[in-house]
Amino acid sequence: MKSPHNRLFVVYPKTKPFDPNNLQTDFKAFKFVLKYRLLVGLNLVYFTFEGSKLANRPTGKLKNMNHLKITNLSKIYPNGVKALQQVSLDIPVGMFGLLGPNGAGKSTLMRTIATLQEPDEGIIQFGEFNTAENKMEIRKILGYLPQQYGLYPKVSAEVLLNHLAVLKGLTNKQERKEMVAALLEKTNLYRVRKQNLGGFSGGMKQRFGIAQALLTNPKLLIVDEPTAGLDPGERNRFYNILSEISEQTVVILSSHIVDDIKELCTNMAIINRGQVILSGKPQTLLKELEGKIYQKTIQKEERSNYHHHYQVLSEKLFLGNPIINILSETPPANGFTQVPATLEDVYFSNIEKNN
Amino acid sequence: MITEIYKFEIQYRLKRPETYIFFLFIFLFALGGVEFIFEGKSLGLVKKNAPIVVAKTMAAITGILMMIVSLVMGTAVLRDFKFDFQALMFVNPINKKDYLLGKFLGSFTVLLFIFSGLLWGMILGEYMPWRHPDDLLPFQLKTYIYTFLTIVLPGLFFGSILFFVTGALSRSMMVIYTQGIFLFVVFILTKAISNEYLQAVLDPFSLTTTSRMVDLWTPEEKNVRLIPFSGVLLVNKIFWLAVGFLTGWIGYKKFDLVLNHRKKVKNKKEEVLTNDDDNFVFRKPEITLGTHFSDRVTQLFHLSWFYFISIFKQVSFLAILVCGGIIIMINSINLGTVHGVDSFPKTYFIIAELQEMSLYFFLIILVFYAGEIIWKERDVKFDLIFAATPIPDFTQVFAKFLGLSLIYLTLLVSLIFYGVSFQTLSGFYEYDWLVYAGGFFLELFPFLLLFTIVAFFFQVMTNRKYVGFILTLAFFVATVLVQALGVDHDLFLFGGKTLPSYSDMNGYGEVLSYFLLVKFYWLIFGMLLLIICSILMTRGTETTLKKRWDFIAQRFTPSLKKMTAVLSMIFIGTASFIFYQTNIENEYWSLNRKQTFRADYEKTLSKWEYLPQPKITDVELNLDLFPNKKEYFLTGEFLLTNKTESPIKEIHLQKLLDDQVKLENIIFNTPITINNSYEKFGYTIYTLKKPLTKGDTLKMNFTQTYKAKSFSGEKPRKGLNKNGTFLTNDDFPTFGYNRKYELEDPRTRAAYDLPAEKIILPENQKIEETRGRSISDADLINFSITTSTSSDQQVIAPGTLEKKWTADNRNYFTYKMEIPMINFYSILSGKYQVQKDEWLFKTDSTRTDLEIYYHQGHEYNLDRMMASMKASLNYYSRHFSPYQYNHLRIVEFPRFADFAQSFPGTIPFSESIGFVLDINDEKDVDMVFYITAHETAHQWWGMQIEAANVPGRNMILESLAQYSALMVMKENFPDHKIQQFLDLQLENYLEKRNKATKEEPPLAQVEKQDYIYYEKGAINFYTFQESIGAKNVNRALCQFIQDWNNQNGVLKKQTDRYPKTDDLLGYFREVTPDSLQYLITELFE
Repeated sequence: MKSPHNRLFVVYPKTKPFDPNNLQTDFKAFKFVLKYRLLVGLNLVYFTFEGSKLANRPTGKLKNMNHLKITNLSKIYPNGVKALQQVSLDIPVGMFGLLGPNGAGKSTLMRTIATLQEPDEGIIQFGEFNTAENKMEIRKILGYLPQQYGLYPKVSAEVLLNHLAVLKGLTNKQERKEMVAALLEKTNLYRVRKQNLGGFSGGMKQRFGIAQALLTNPKLLIVDEPTAGLDPGERNRFYNILSEISEQTVVILSSHIVDDIKELCTNMAIINRGQVILSGKPQTLLKELEGKIYQKTIQKEERSNYHHHYQVLSEKLFLGNPIINILSETPPANGFTQVPATLEDVYFSNIEKNN
Repeated sequence: MITEIYKFEIQYRLKRPETYIFFLFIFLFALGGVEFIFEGKSLGLVKKNAPIVVAKTMAAITGILMMIVSLVMGTAVLRDFKFDFQALMFVNPINKKDYLLGKFLGSFTVLLFIFSGLLWGMILGEYMPWRHPDDLLPFQLKTYIYTFLTIVLPGLFFGSILFFVTGALSRSMMVIYTQGIFLFVVFILTKAISNEYLQAVLDPFSLTTTSRMVDLWTPEEKNVRLIPFSGVLLVNKIFWLAVGFLTGWIGYKKFDLVLNHRKKVKNKKEEVLTNDDDNFVFRKPEITLGTHFSDRVTQLFHLSWFYFISIFKQVSFLAILVCGGIIIMINSINLGTVHGVDSFPKTYFIIAELQEMSLYFFLIILVFYAGEIIWKERDVKFDLIFAATPIPDFTQVFAKFLGLSLIYLTLLVSLIFYGVSFQTLSGFYEYDWLVYAGGFFLELFPFLLLFTIVAFFFQVMTNRKYVGFILTLAFFVATVLVQALGVDHDLFLFGGKTLPSYSDMNGYGEVLSYFLLVKFYWLIFGMLLLIICSILMTRGTETTLKKRWDFIAQRFTPSLKKMTAVLSMIFIGTASFIFYQTNIENEYWSLNRKQTFRADYEKTLSKWEYLPQPKITDVELNLDLFPNKKEYFLTGEFLLTNKTESPIKEIHLQKLLDDQVKLENIIFNTPITINNSYEKFGYTIYTLKKPLTKGDTLKMNFTQTYKAKSFSGEKPRKGLNKNGTFLTNDDFPTFGYNRKYELEDPRTRAAYDLPAEKIILPENQKIEETRGRSISDADLINFSITTSTSSDQQVIAPGTLEKKWTADNRNYFTYKMEIPMINFYSILSGKYQVQKDEWLFKTDSTRTDLEIYYHQGHEYNLDRMMASMKASLNYYSRHFSPYQYNHLRIVEFPRFADFAQSFPGTIPFSESIGFVLDINDEKDVDMVFYITAHETAHQWWGMQIEAANVPGRNMILESLAQYSALMVMKENFPDHKIQQFLDLQLENYLEKRNKATKEEPPLAQVEKQDYIYYEKGAINFYTFQESIGAKNVNRALCQFIQDWNNQNGVLKKQTDRYPKTDDLLGYFREVTPDSLQYLITELFE
């Protein structure tokens, strides 16, 4: 079913997105992949899409019934890593973005909310339920998409979705059939529904993951890095679904893509080293940095110099030369130009502080 | 590069716990390896650390543990695929050769380390407490190392290449788990090859090969000589190495370093499909979430079916189905074989064969599939999605359990299908569906279910798949060992005992309800264990046992609590009931208690072993059998006569030792005093106020009742049965110390401070010579019995049937033996059909009634039996002496034992020894004819001639019966059949001789060694008559009977001793020409 009023106009970068699956089997490319992955891991490379304008959507009505309240949540892993330290968050209906570098504790937090992990301390309350004590109740209203997961390779999308639907309590055959079909259509998998999941690409697999998370019209939807592996078109499609759902649902989303959070989320938090270092509405957070961000293209050799003298927030390569963003209360001159603050800058300025 | 990969592989493996677990497992297995492999088999004079024993043990263990080879070698390449590591590995500038060779050598090195556990374990095994110094040669390090290098190493190498290649090419875990089975199939297949040399060459584990290498060695040689690495062994190893290298080469050619092409193809397809639709309206269908119990049930069945299908669709599973069929077809060829002749493929033979054959399969399938199904979600990283669904913990575990159960059902049904196909192909259409169902669904299926739960339990507790595998296997071994240690109480023996073997006549006996209750008890236990699994199972990312333990209270939901409470109550209730039945209603005898009792019996009472006792001279019985109630009432009168020179003051009466038997109302017709101090042993001493003087008689009346405990797990045995009662004089009171209660096994005897071998003092030797049998409380007796049984049965007892009538809806019979007979009689009752005939003795036309009492449906060989009886009676009465009774009866009894035995005028014949043999006159020797002839011969050798209870006794009884039967065969069958028979005897003799524990005595001094008095006896006597002529032999035997028969033997009348082999050989010497006298010495002495 086409619905033109919802069509998005997205300006893609002109360069083709990098696709690791199309790699030649030569060593250079391999090294590049490694490097690329490392960089992604360190949150140093981003796909940023200028001008991506998502339709304005109403902010979710705050309903106490579906309100997620996290209080003093702590978790220490057996190896001594403090994954969560006294995390407290209030998450109302609507989209909530979680931002933070790898290993910050995002996934731990999300798994804990999803009843898959036990906190050492602290309480998570969803509506009337304490999640730790009412796991089954939470699971009934939960949609969860883990960051990493696999699917049975020799089962078709339709069969597995149907299977999960039964497990989630959709025992009425007719309803289940409709739901599965609707979701397959929604996630654009309807035509490949008979195909074995083993033959799915990363994107298709991810769409399947999304479909299963939506099976029971969840009241609490947790999606951990959902857009990894999706191409920009798929990503936007997915965000649109989320934004629709978030009208009545608590949606918690973690992402590497800072701008997406800005566009999508009514609320957000930045987590680093297991601690919430910042939380609030993206627009509010941006205001604090407004007028304090400057940008300059520099030579590679100069990098350390600049890092020494300025509070460098981020560094990107453009035509082989680094572009740096700095934070400065006063205009630094020296060839810097003022740029509008982005969420990315908010993020880095806070990560810097925290480190 | 290759060294890098090699090093990486080794370093990786050395960090993995599996490596050490495998090593430890093999090491521990090897410690008890010899006992495990040769369990129950006598090694004879060969010591337990002789090169051949070490070789066979190592070869067998390597064969059994091929699955470890598979787990190590098969995963080498697969691992790279599993961890998505292949992208990294394969884009590196690595060439295929380096990659594969490095991986292979690295893994193989680790495998060698793991299997060195076999070497160390077996070496240390020599010093284990269960080893007996008598069984061991001095320690020889060389034996172990040499054997390991020549037998194990090539086998490992071959297996490694094979599994490495299949693992690398299939990239499927299930293939890796199950390929060990396929090699086992090959091994089984080789067993079916009739050419022995070829069989030895093709055996992948070199078991047959090593046996063949030492075929002709004497025990001494076997103890000292290493098995040369030459001849067929060398060919065998070269053959399999060649197969290995060929596989390796093919694998190398086929292996592709580039990623799956499949994926690429599908990616293209997907691109077409994705970019054409931008539909964003999420039309939410209305849904309701099921929360009722019925929804839970729907979920449970859905999930179970999902698991079932996921295994069922695997190629490896189908391969198992097919292989199972192949094995069965091949192995069923030898069904219920008796002396080289197969039986009809009756369902109970098929089932026994299938159960035995499939156990190994099932065990592997169970261990691996259970692990796999528990790890199903986690293995594909689907676990977090799965765990976040609101499916209850127990539903999940139970669905896994049901899914596997369905797999087992599929296998069992296919086994039944194979069995039925085999029967049909053999032209045998009597499918016994109940027996199929009993064997598979009552016996094997619960076993599988219970061990699956155990496997689940270990997987859940350890949370490591491989550790779970090993622990489950270890648990299985432990249950076997525990049983061997004497734990046999159904409440503690995991899963309870097995069903008795099925009999057409008697079914499973009376144990079925008890058996089912025990299974029920264990299944309830299993369900409780499943609940534990469900609340402890990893769900989410908390994996440590401690963490999971901390949260059990939360997962132990009210409904689970209710279920646990109910199950526990049922469990305790059933346990109490079983305990009440086994320990209070019946008396429970543990193995230890039995042995202690027997030892005490000997220690306390053997002082009276040679105490003179009067002999029984008249027996008059009145026996009422109630087969359906499993009761009998016996009143008896014994007339006792003092045949010694001196007066007898004390009568020592021995009751049958059986809790269910009561001996009461003992009345002597003379005043007595009773000494009850040995009541514990059922042994009562009656002191006669007036001693019984020489030739005086004494009457004893008694009542003996038997009442089977209603609900016991006792397997059918000789005694009262629902259909197929078989009582003998053994079941009734005897006089004096009874040797049958002594412990026999020398080791056990030693453990209870008894001399390992019973020594007969020289002064008692003379007394032994006056004993015709080992329990000798009579010479000849007059016998009569009046007996009754249920209306659908008839009783067969010795003697002429004088009267037969029906009263109170019961059948009554009176039998009376016309002439005195030995005190050795059988009383059988059953629902019999009868085939009658008669035999007339040529010289005086005395009529002898011939009767065969058989179970309906067992008509197959009646004519052969009848013909054999006639031919035998003809030959023996012509050549030895006239037949002494006016009847000769064959009576069938159930399969609780498989022998035929001669009693005066009666030959009880087991259901499984002759009635169902499928004799092919082209290729088989007519064993039914032979066995009948042999047993008929005992009417002479045993009934007419008794032999003194001294060494050589069985040459007179058994070897002469063998000789006689052979002569009857010779008259009725062509020479080549006789030769075929003798060849088989020779083969059996050599095989059994290898297992003998003692030096082989000459025939004339033979004691309990049946291979001497049966097989060797037949061969030597045949040789003897070939040389001096059957006529002469028969002349000697005729004279022997005339002089020594127990009725009116010329010499026997003058003495109270019985004939010995010296006497017999004397007659032979007389008929043997001087030139051949040496033969007697050679053949018999």
